[in-house]
Amino acid sequence: MIALPQNSSWQGRLELVYENKGGSTQILRAFNQAPLKVQRPFYPEGKHICHTVSLHTAGGIVGGDRLIQSLQLNPKSRVLITTAAAAKIYGSNGKQGQQIITARVEDRAFLEWMPQSMIVFNGAIYRQEMRVELADHAGFFGWEILRFGRSARGEKFIRGEWRSHLEIWRNNKLLWCDRQWLPGCEETYTHPHSLGGYPVVGHLIWFGDLEIEKAIVSVNQLWTNNQRQGEAGVTQMQGNGLLCRYRGTSVTEVKNWFIQTWQFYRQSDFGEKAIAPRVWL
Amino acid sequence: MSDRQLLHLLQLSNPMLPVGAYSYSEGLEYLVEQKIIGDREQLYSWLEQELRYGSIRTETAVMVRAYQSKRQEAREKEELIYWNEWFSAVRETKELRQQSWQMGQSLLKLLVSLEPDLAAIAKDIGNPCNYPIAFGIGAANWQIDIEATAIGYLQSWTTNLIGAGVKLIPLGQTTAQHILQDISAPLLMAKTKILTLTDEELGSCGWGLTIASMAHETQYTRLFRS
Repeated sequence: MIALPQNSSWQGRLELVYENKGGSTQILRAFNQAPLKVQRPFYPEGKHICHTVSLHTAGGIVGGDRLIQSLQLNPKSRVLITTAAAAKIYGSNGKQGQQIITARVEDRAFLEWMPQSMIVFNGAIYRQEMRVELADHAGFFGWEILRFGRSARGEKFIRGEWRSHLEIWRNNKLLWCDRQWLPGCEETYTHPHSLGGYPVVGHLIWFGDLEIEKAIVSVNQLWTNNQRQGEAGVTQMQGNGLLCRYRGTSVTEVKNWFIQTWQFYRQSDFGEKAIAPRVWL
Repeated sequence: MSDRQLLHLLQLSNPMLPVGAYSYSEGLEYLVEQKIIGDREQLYSWLEQELRYGSIRTETAVMVRAYQSKRQEAREKEELIYWNEWFSAVRETKELRQQSWQMGQSLLKLLVSLEPDLAAIAKDIGNPCNYPIAFGIGAANWQIDIEATAIGYLQSWTTNLIGAGVKLIPLGQTTAQHILQDISAPLLMAKTKILTLTDEELGSCGWGLTIASMAHETQYTRLFRS
């Protein structure tokens, strides 16, 4: 069922607080306001990791919408968050759509933020801000995958504006600040300096318990082991963070690389085999 | 601007400034190897895109903020430390971050040697110091006009990358001067835009530069450090 907004635009909210109760990660408090919702948590990997699937019940974001998500992971909780479907950012009527996400990850808690891809329609005006605050031994593994324009039908992102700001803090020190900006026009779409004609981009970040140089070599190998269509690279952020970037033509290609990197992360940081959420299939 | 200020600006933006700028290509070495940049037009076009949408805008905007912070005595220290840490977090790759740190530290040391009064603020900022921060401090200290300072910053960046292009592509010295002359219109437009950017607007379209710089970090043969 498609929900309809009260006024002309949505002011959605999602607030989740997790805690570790005797080795099991549980939702301590949940609050949601349409069009954001969460499905009942599930535990395909055991009680210690809570898988949470959020969904946007109105189908997509339009200009004027403002969605606010706030996550709190209390000490020793482990959470994997994903979305039920690809997000859509529709062409704008001139107003900006916004999404603001804050996550606070306490000591020895681990957040995995792995939403499905986002399709930014031609003419969309969108701004996203995400701020992650990590305590001393907290970890964060996250990604974002975007398609600019409905390229399957030949649409290019040549009007509108997209921004995505991401900040990672540890103990009140700013480790990583990503200020991505894409003003829609023919030259940013085609020039090798910007998209280079590739409609799909993605980035992945990993702040955990890693030997950074070795991890960079391994994650690079996961990319180069296969025949690839797109372009990608890996580098080191401050505070021993690992960053991947991709631009190419295929959501599947970047998603597969990121999932392999996620499996490597689980093996490397926790000695576990990762079980992917069913909604990804 | 006085003659003395003009001389200080020329000194700051001179390629002879001993900060090692000539050893960095900011991804051009990889782009030339990949034949994405192979002639005068392609080099010009890359620089033009950087000036319009790229990370040099953010970098120069941070230089402007360091300059303004230096002239606000009450909050000078806090603001300079804030923007220095912000820029370390915003640099796209390890190589680009280390470039800014190495050049910034060299320039700050040089400034303290020329103007011993700057020792206190240099100590407050500590190590690492990013290049635009040191440059902004120097320009503010010598009371150079901010618009002229921004032009000087962009011009020295452009000159340096054209110099890298001359060695890598390769291009002739006269061709290099043509690029420098042709780039003046987008450079001046970028200067005007940068001076009006709000903090919230700081951002860049950086996939091309970032992926090139990441690839350069593992490029087999390298003449340049970025």
